[in-house]
Amino acid sequence: MSLVEVKGLKKSFGSLEVLKGVDLSVVQGERIAIIGGSGCGKSVFLRSMALLEKPDAGQILIDGRDITAAKGSQLDEIRRSMGMVFQKFHLFSEMDVMDNLCLAPTRILKMPRANAEKKAMELLSQVGLAARAHAWPTVLSGGQQQRIAICRCLMMEPKVLLFDEPTSALDPTMVGEVLAVIRMLAKRDMTMLIVTHEMNFAREVANRVLFLADGGIYEQGTPTEIFDHPQREKTVAFIHKIKYFTYEIRERQFDLMQMHGGIQNFGEKYGLDEERNFRLQLCCEELIYELLDHCYAGRKDIDIKLSVSHAESDDTTQIAIDCGGMAYNPFEQEEDSLGVTILRNMSKQMEYRHTDNRNQINITL
Amino acid sequence: MTLSDKLYTILIKGNSWKTILGGLWVTVQISALALLLGTLLGALICLMRTRKNPVVRTIASVYIAILRGTPVLMLLLLLYYGVFARAGIAPVMVAVITFALNVSAHVAELLRSALEAADRGQAEAARTLGFSAWDAFRLITLPQVLRIAKPVYQSTIVNLIQWTSVVGYVTITDLTRVINNIASRTMQPLLTIIIGMLIYLALSYTVFGIFALTDKIKARKRGVVS
Repeated sequence: MSLVEVKGLKKSFGSLEVLKGVDLSVVQGERIAIIGGSGCGKSVFLRSMALLEKPDAGQILIDGRDITAAKGSQLDEIRRSMGMVFQKFHLFSEMDVMDNLCLAPTRILKMPRANAEKKAMELLSQVGLAARAHAWPTVLSGGQQQRIAICRCLMMEPKVLLFDEPTSALDPTMVGEVLAVIRMLAKRDMTMLIVTHEMNFAREVANRVLFLADGGIYEQGTPTEIFDHPQREKTVAFIHKIKYFTYEIRERQFDLMQMHGGIQNFGEKYGLDEERNFRLQLCCEELIYELLDHCYAGRKDIDIKLSVSHAESDDTTQIAIDCGGMAYNPFEQEEDSLGVTILRNMSKQMEYRHTDNRNQINITL
Repeated sequence: MTLSDKLYTILIKGNSWKTILGGLWVTVQISALALLLGTLLGALICLMRTRKNPVVRTIASVYIAILRGTPVLMLLLLLYYGVFARAGIAPVMVAVITFALNVSAHVAELLRSALEAADRGQAEAARTLGFSAWDAFRLITLPQVLRIAKPVYQSTIVNLIQWTSVVGYVTITDLTRVINNIASRTMQPLLTIIIGMLIYLALSYTVFGIFALTDKIKARKRGVVS
């Protein structure tokens, strides 16, 4: 039987539909990484599982018990079998580390204080923080706070742990220490769902990866499947950290400045320096005017689709243009036009294809 | 007349000091009772103010707006000469009710802002550990609210004490009224009123002192263990 079962989970905020019916089944010992762009609903999904967000529709069964139908003390009881680790740790600020760890077991499970403290010390030693047992949260670093927050969950011996971007609020130097603790839990076959931006970590620790987009699980598979052979378009784009700048031109007097502005922003996002950004804009401009002059000479059915992408892996920029009109290969004319001369000087690679009555040009800078 | 002669007339002659202490006691009584009732009522108003129900919320908002936006002396006159004119309630009780109402509006607002400033995530963390909503509030949110509200609460108390000096308007012989009486009787307004101000100052600093002491105890508790 699956430990966590999500059926048709829906959640909207006002008119914004964040989750449009998500189904998921998690078996004991599975480690699931949840990835996706910002605003794709991955945090909402995780928070819904702990019923911190009330789903609009659907069921969530934890160890066979329906948390969405549970009320009052029943809900509190089901929640005990889950632990949740937050982006911003949320250690109890009005008590020291030991009290943070012992509060829930002594109050909820009625565990004797001495036993709770013993258990807390064991957990703290495992995460290397035994010496800080009586420190107050404010004097601890983010990494230390997060490790203690994980211990606080473990005190209740949860069956499943939910991590909501556990390293996103951390200084880069402290990410490692928190990931090490999660790795340790992975070795012990702890069932975990981890929302994360740490792709390498997700690949290493997870045995299933969910890519969330369009209000649901857009694609899922093993880390190899998702990270090395993503099947669907958005997954591909996300995984290779390629995001597209696209611009459509439908008339001769198009808004050139708007297009330049868009490319400028895109370039800045990927850290292109001014020189490269300028060349990128120039190439797009020359190419578009070249096509307007030749493919659409004297015509009004203008339909040019420009898309610019940047691959961080080899630091190259691609320009792809798809347009209708007459077949025209700008690179194989008897004499290069000025625009093409400029393009030739600036690009590494230029390709032209004509399929289905469309001109397709790919340029790598 | 030498200074000591003046002081003798003001403080000692005809058991003047007893009258002053009597007035001080009235001031302290009104302040303490108003604070107690006002804080409880303020918590209730805050609860109403943070409800989802728009009717309840609006009632609380209007209540707070009126009480914070009008002089407490006007409220005192309204209650004394208007609302309770024929009720036969002791003037001191009318003053206590007046200041309790006034303080409740301030306390409601300061609790609300403290609630907003508290880390909601900690309560969520408590819920995911299995605490009920009430326990999460009681054990996790409330201690934060009290810590955040404390400095503002302290000045609310001091303001309250000072504002009670207007109760002379409704025939109550509080510290200010006593000082005023002595000043006219002895014809020594300057010195008498300065003495009166010093007593108020001492009262205020007693409040500040108590708060500082509790802060120190808390800091020591944290300091020793961390």
